[in-house]
Amino acid sequence: MFRRLTQLALLLLALDATQCLAEEEIEEVTESRWRLGAALGYGVRSNPLVQSDDIPIIVDLDIAWFGDRWFFDNGDLGLTVADRDAMTASLVARVNSDRVFFGNTDTRFVAFDVVGMPLAEEVEFEVPDRDYAVEFGVEMLTDGSWGALQLSAFHDVSGTHEGFELYANYSYGWRDQRLYIEPSIGASYKSADLNNYYWGVSDDEAGVVVAPYEAEAGFNWHARLMVGYQLSRHWGLSLVAEYERINDEAAASPIVNERNVLGYFAGAAYRF
Amino acid sequence: MRLLVTLALLLPALVLAEEQADNDMRLTVKPLLCITDNRNPSCNMSFLVVWQSDETGYYCLFNDFTEAPVRCWSEEPAGQLSEDRIVRENFSYWMTGNNPDSRLAEVTVEVLHMDSDDRRRRRRTRHVWDIN
Repeated sequence: MFRRLTQLALLLLALDATQCLAEEEIEEVTESRWRLGAALGYGVRSNPLVQSDDIPIIVDLDIAWFGDRWFFDNGDLGLTVADRDAMTASLVARVNSDRVFFGNTDTRFVAFDVVGMPLAEEVEFEVPDRDYAVEFGVEMLTDGSWGALQLSAFHDVSGTHEGFELYANYSYGWRDQRLYIEPSIGASYKSADLNNYYWGVSDDEAGVVVAPYEAEAGFNWHARLMVGYQLSRHWGLSLVAEYERINDEAAASPIVNERNVLGYFAGAAYRF
Repeated sequence: MRLLVTLALLLPALVLAEEQADNDMRLTVKPLLCITDNRNPSCNMSFLVVWQSDETGYYCLFNDFTEAPVRCWSEEPAGQLSEDRIVRENFSYWMTGNNPDSRLAEVTVEVLHMDSDDRRRRRRTRHVWDIN
């Protein structure tokens, strides 16, 4: 009888211990794999192309999912191959961002030719269209008390521009309770193929208004300041100011009339 | 018998009055949110706790840190208390009356940890033109 009771007590202890372990495991994975958020406000991003409109920003969505190794982060699809304290390395597929400017262009009638001389009659001119490119590459991330560093290299795998881009970004965040300030600075090297596809003008596209143009490789620079103020667990205010300097080769293109891209956004953000 | 009937009739009214008294307790705590990250895993906060009741009485303020009341007030309709605390996780302040097991009002101070435990999630910065 005593032996039976001892066995029962040991069994209950074992069950209890198992339950405790299970609870601890459950507690360890309480962070949702999803990150969902939306910011509503007003902002504008300037468009460096000729005959183009600035890009309004009213809503910004944040949709991300992080599995054990796979992740989806706002359009980036990734597979993490190494994740250590010192560094995280992932293979990532994404859509190139240079195409975004070509979605806000206008068709206009132009009265001056390529050298600025008046034309006998107005000519219809349209900024040539560009396609989205799917790119595949590797991304290295690291952070510490000194800030966060992101390095990446991407190559076109969709046969769109057949070029590549190297990217580096450094950011440092300060927090004082509800207030968060994060400046960041970075650069990207755009290969000649990439640069020429988006910013060059082919013989077929050239005419009396724009001359043919071939863009070589170049460096873009960017800086950004993000200020956030947390109102509650879910609500916060966001203020973002951004600057990007387009590389010399792109800026010299006849379809570009502004080499500095400026943007800002101010709004309220909700995180689910 | 008449006394029993009277008591039976009065009892619900007394219970109702007690519940009404419970609802009259107002407790406010400022600030209510502590925001932490990996660099600052705790908040050094100065709390102002203010309570007010429609009825003068014996009231005690409790929190999750100690079993004993933080402070009690006797024959008072209102009171306040300031205290400094280092906060790392959610906790509550609550008021009781004569019965310490019955909470008349309760307020929870929330801790919001902004950094993800997932390194990728924490380290990934969105594209220069993305916000939020």
